[in-house]
Amino acid sequence: MASPFRILSFLMYVFIVGNLLTGCVSYRLIRGTEGRPIPPVSEECQVGKTTLQETLETLGAPDQVAELEGKDVLIYRRSLLAQSGLSFGIPLADIWISSFDISAYGRLVRYDLLLLFFTPDGILSELVIEKGSQHPYLKTILSDKKGD
Amino acid sequence: MDRLKESLLILLLVVFLQSCVMLAKSKDYYPFDTSGLDKLIAGKSTAAEVTEVLGAPSTIVKLSRGNAYIYKHSLTKGTGLWLVLVTFGNYDKHKDQIVIFFDKNDVMTHYGVTLDAHKAAYGLPF
Repeated sequence: MASPFRILSFLMYVFIVGNLLTGCVSYRLIRGTEGRPIPPVSEECQVGKTTLQETLETLGAPDQVAELEGKDVLIYRRSLLAQSGLSFGIPLADIWISSFDISAYGRLVRYDLLLLFFTPDGILSELVIEKGSQHPYLKTILSDKKGD
Repeated sequence: MDRLKESLLILLLVVFLQSCVMLAKSKDYYPFDTSGLDKLIAGKSTAAEVTEVLGAPSTIVKLSRGNAYIYKHSLTKGTGLWLVLVTFGNYDKHKDQIVIFFDKNDVMTHYGVTLDAHKAAYGLPF
């Protein structure tokens, strides 16, 4: 049977190792989604034909409504957040002037959007789809190009 | 071999003794009752009748030939998991929304309903 002293030493060892590890390296990964997936609209929505009533019956309530240059716009939106971070540091503050720390973080919010423009008579006049979720996280966040 | 087992045991204890799980829930706006929607008739019901059934809207938007009343209620569920070296976080937000369109005489012309708040779920980011 192990002595209480040996168990106590073991637990202290665990505590010290754990704290050293947590103080040195950490990785963070966060994901978030807001809203439902944008529905496919190829058949349901036809410019010059589909009415506002039909759209509301098919797609449900839009996330946002606005008026733009005499047209009513229904906006269906889904946002996807991706955030990651890597941090490496050596906690030396107690024995040295400052600690060493290096970190890298990235945060990207992508939007899937469907904009439907209706004439004042309630007929679909224009349709815009943007699939931001198709852009890969790392490639997008590391790129300096516009549009990526 | 005993030394290896001991090291693995230490590593496992470090992970589990210092880990932490968090579940969170957040709501925006009071949930609304959609059973009264059957009483509303397009081309007949007025804005006053709509507010009598559904209460005050969350937002009012001016449109080309009238207004839209927006009723919304959202539910967010968040999950967090802290291990020794890694932290995982996730949130999922869905909403119930009704958009009611009125003409210039405040008579209801159309409405759209989305009831998705119950789809918000706890989970991990992978």
